[in-house]
Amino acid sequence: MIRTRPRLDLTRATAGTLALAVLAVLLGMGALFFWQSVPVWKSEGIGGFLTGKQWFYRHERYGLWTMLFGTGAVALIAMLVAVPLGLGAAIFTSEFLSPKTRLVVKALVELLAGVPSVVYGLLGVLLLRNWIYEGLDLRTGDTLLTGGILLGIMVLPTVMTLCDDALQAVPARFRRAARGLGLTRQETILHAVLPQARSAILASILLGFGRATGETIAVFLVIGRQDNRSPDFSALVSPGQTLTSKLGGSELNIAYGDSLHWGAMMGVASVLLLISILVTVGGRRLLRRP
Amino acid sequence: MITPRKRATSQWLFWITGACALMAVLMLAGILFSVAIRGLGTIDWAFLTEPMKRGGLEGGIVHHLGGTLILVTTALLIALPLAAGFGITQELYCRRESLKEAMGTAIYLLNGLPSILFGIVGYLVLVKWAGWGKSWLAGGIVLAVMMLPTITVAFVERLRQVPRAQIQAARGLGLSRSQLCWSILLPQASSGLITGSLLGVARAAGETAPILFTAAIFSGATWPDGLRESPVLSLPYHVFVLAQDALDPEAQDRLWGTAAVLLGLVMFLSALALPLRLRIRRHETS
Amino acid sequence: MKFPCAAIAGSLLLLAGCGGDRPASTSTLKITGSTTVNPPVAEAADLLREARGWTIHVDTQGGSSGGVAAVGEGRAQLGMASRPLTIKDAAKFPEAQLVTTTIGSDALAIVVSKDVWDGGVKGLTKTQVRDIYESKTTNWKELGGPDQEIVFFNKEPGRGTWEVFAAWAYGGDANAAPPVSHPEVGANAEARTKVASTRGGVTQLSSAWTDGETVFALAVDGTSPTPEAIASGAYPISRPLNLLTDGEPAGMAAEFIEFMLGPEGQALLPAHGYQPLP
Repeated sequence: MIRTRPRLDLTRATAGTLALAVLAVLLGMGALFFWQSVPVWKSEGIGGFLTGKQWFYRHERYGLWTMLFGTGAVALIAMLVAVPLGLGAAIFTSEFLSPKTRLVVKALVELLAGVPSVVYGLLGVLLLRNWIYEGLDLRTGDTLLTGGILLGIMVLPTVMTLCDDALQAVPARFRRAARGLGLTRQETILHAVLPQARSAILASILLGFGRATGETIAVFLVIGRQDNRSPDFSALVSPGQTLTSKLGGSELNIAYGDSLHWGAMMGVASVLLLISILVTVGGRRLLRRP
Repeated sequence: MITPRKRATSQWLFWITGACALMAVLMLAGILFSVAIRGLGTIDWAFLTEPMKRGGLEGGIVHHLGGTLILVTTALLIALPLAAGFGITQELYCRRESLKEAMGTAIYLLNGLPSILFGIVGYLVLVKWAGWGKSWLAGGIVLAVMMLPTITVAFVERLRQVPRAQIQAARGLGLSRSQLCWSILLPQASSGLITGSLLGVARAAGETAPILFTAAIFSGATWPDGLRESPVLSLPYHVFVLAQDALDPEAQDRLWGTAAVLLGLVMFLSALALPLRLRIRRHETS
Repeated sequence: MKFPCAAIAGSLLLLAGCGGDRPASTSTLKITGSTTVNPPVAEAADLLREARGWTIHVDTQGGSSGGVAAVGEGRAQLGMASRPLTIKDAAKFPEAQLVTTTIGSDALAIVVSKDVWDGGVKGLTKTQVRDIYESKTTNWKELGGPDQEIVFFNKEPGRGTWEVFAAWAYGGDANAAPPVSHPEVGANAEARTKVASTRGGVTQLSSAWTDGETVFALAVDGTSPTPEAIASGAYPISRPLNLLTDGEPAGMAAEFIEFMLGPEGQALLPAHGYQPLP
């Protein structure tokens, strides 16, 4: 057997270096944000920063609570829009359509998943904002609700595709067995397929939720960007602020010279990073469950 | 036996989920339609080839198109080797399953991170610390990091489809791993790289948040003149800025036209990837 | 072997880009800052690009404070600010020598939407404005207007417009303004759009940006921001339109400023609704 074994495997070295570079970026990002945000943790305390309701950079008060509420509320509303529609649509494409039609519909929906967020933002500013303003007779059309609905439409294709994949992954034998027992198509879906796909569907929802928490541009345009509003139910139909809309605004440009202000902005970034990691890892864990 | 009553009421799932699917498709198609009818009228040869004037109220978007193309091309050139390297390492050189898992999770994580965070890192490291100022290269690097998971996942998916028999035969003949990589794996899985690249470019072309602080300005830039301090105009940033002045009737035409061009570009690239992806899927099921 | 390769490659890349914070080529003029100062400056940039073939980059991220920061950090040769420099600005950038050149002035108005104007509110006193800002007054009917909730769109505190407003409303010191909670707007264009599309809307905005059709400038303490009142100084809230440089203006920056101070540049100001230098 002829085996050539060069002392230095260049391909392996290069490939390995590149792989390491990728991992370094990931770790570097996390380290960077946390390190840069140290001033604000010192100044406000961990609990103080996370639960503080006030953000006035001119008075050096920093607190994330309103933004955490905003991020959560917006993502939750998005899920209320995207999950029923997405899961329902996915059940239809996966279980009721012929494979060919399913691929066509799926291709269309995945195509639409690529619509840039700024286009959603544009439609949100010009159309959705007015519909909610006039339709619900609110003070202003820029509200957490507007952001949530817009995000819901944005993540709909993602949720739909992932749920469809989840349902397709259920082996055919479950369906065959159910039909063999005399169950109708509907009963098969409800009692045999869905329960099997449960954790994958949950993962899809979680991933959609993650996408919703991380969206910046569309949210920035329609959310009103109001800090310091007490989180309560009326806040849902009032202007608010999310972690991402704060980061996408102009404070980043002016915060750089001021170590406390910059620290606060990095604190926002750190918390956002943490939430994103938790949600993504959680989703992946659920996907892996048999 | 299915009783008549069962048959009659057993249809509600069909109708409800069918309605969901219809609503979803209509909503999404409606988005494409809204942009198209408002924006297509503005697009003509002049619009695509003239520079911007009067802060976007007149003129065309040639520099924005150019800027976007420069950004995504740079990003692709950076991301492609990185993705290939990552994929090859994960599938070929990783001996332990746990390491493979970890690499897969890392890519997954990278994919799920909010795009604005990449932009902020790029701002801090490249624009400020390295002193590059706003530049196309900084934007390209940040977009490359964002594109990476898309290309890697498509590549790895295709890699895993290379028949075991071929790999075993090659090893049996005495090929080393790197020879295996270059003569068998890469050629066969190249369709995965292409698909991933098309999808990655489509995504990167539409992103605003990563280039907000690193590469894009609203007016004045034409073509970059060096590595540093050379920002570009770009389609998504232009839409973003104009969207904030959306009620000005003069701006509206240009706004929708730019949005339509951007949307068209992204849809076109994604659509190009479709036949390749269908072929990969068919490989999977065969 | 992998690590040295990566390290060398990485440092080569960074070295290629390093070289301090000074803008790279002196043949590109970078201007950043206020959205108020932007229109005449951007138009001047267009003219100079055509006439002299210059490369000029104009950006408006961050507003006036963004302009100060850009010059202070060496990212731009010219900063646009629609407010005077403060001690805080100088303190933030101790290595830079911030020099102001005023190219014109502008009046800051309290701007309302059509329904408020038509509903009878044509002017406010400073105290009334303060009460609105602090959310003590919440409905226009308390001020003689329609029965409509007041929706105050606050300009981001980094904007020159906001600082001038706060200084005027709170005895000359913007830092004396109390913390408040309102939806925020960034650029002038956004402020105008939001007010025009919201019943009961009000914001701080340059009077040059009102159009008399969708948004209207209120009289303040009895004086309307008409061109005569602004020029004569009778209208109380005015602010300089400034170009900032690090040290005395030199090179392209100096030539640009010279253009703005000359007859051609000054003519651009009234075209955009601002006041040229007397």
